[in-house]
Amino acid sequence: MAASVLVLVGTGFLPVIGIKFPWVVPHWIAGLILILVALFHIAWAVRWQKLKQMGVGPRDIGDLLATFCAVSGRSDAPPPKPGKYLLAQRLYHHAIAVTVLATCVTGGLMMVKQDTPIWKRDPYWLSDGNWGIIYVVHGLAAIAVLSLILIHIYFALRPEKLFYTRSMIKGWITRREFEAHHDRDRWNADKSAS
Amino acid sequence: MEILRVAKNAWGQEVLVGVSWDLLWWFVGASLVFIVVHAILTPILKRSGKDRS
Repeated sequence: MAASVLVLVGTGFLPVIGIKFPWVVPHWIAGLILILVALFHIAWAVRWQKLKQMGVGPRDIGDLLATFCAVSGRSDAPPPKPGKYLLAQRLYHHAIAVTVLATCVTGGLMMVKQDTPIWKRDPYWLSDGNWGIIYVVHGLAAIAVLSLILIHIYFALRPEKLFYTRSMIKGWITRREFEAHHDRDRWNADKSAS
Repeated sequence: MEILRVAKNAWGQEVLVGVSWDLLWWFVGASLVFIVVHAILTPILKRSGKDRS
C-alpha cells in the first residue's frame, strides 16, 4: 500500500513541478494496485481485526485533557495510556483513509478515460462538468495525502516513536514497550494478536 | 490565488479541469509549519512539565 501510494504521489506530482516523463501508465497501474490493496485491507480489518480499537469516543477527550495536564505539569498524575492505538494514530488513520478512498474512487472513475488491455477509453461517459468535479476531488485529496505523508514521515522518524515505525515494518513491539506505552486493560495483547 | 483550474471546451464554455496546483504549495507549507511547531513545542512542554513536577 505504501509503495503504491509513493508511486502515485511521484507520478502525480513530479510532472506538476516540472519534471516531465510518461507518467500516466505507471500512475493508473499503481492506482489499480492501491484500489485492490485497499479493498483487501478493508476486508482484513472487518473480518480479522477489532474495529473498536480504531474508534474515537468521549473517553478520548478526557484522555486528551489528562495528557495535556500531565505534559504541561498541571497534574501530578501520569498521562493515561492508550489501548492499541494512540488517539493521534487513530485520527491520522481516519484522515488518510478518507483522502486515499477519495482518490481511489475518483481515480477509478477516471480510468474510464484510459485505454487499458481490458477496456477502451470512453471520454464521453460523463459530462464535462461532472468530470471537472471528479478532477477537483481527486486533486484535492491527492494534495491532502501528500501533506499527510509528510507528517507521517516526521512522526515515524521522531526518536520516541521509532518503536512504532519498527512495529509497522516487523509487526511487533517488545513487552517492555507494551508495558511502558499501552494500557493492558484497554488492549489485551496476550489474548489476541490483533 | 486561484483555487480551481478552468479551461474552455470545444464549444467555448468554461469547464472545470481540476484543483489549482498553487494549493499544493500551501498544503506542503502548512504541513512543514505543523512539523516545525511540533518539533519546537514538544521538548518545551516536556521540560516545563518536568520543572513543575
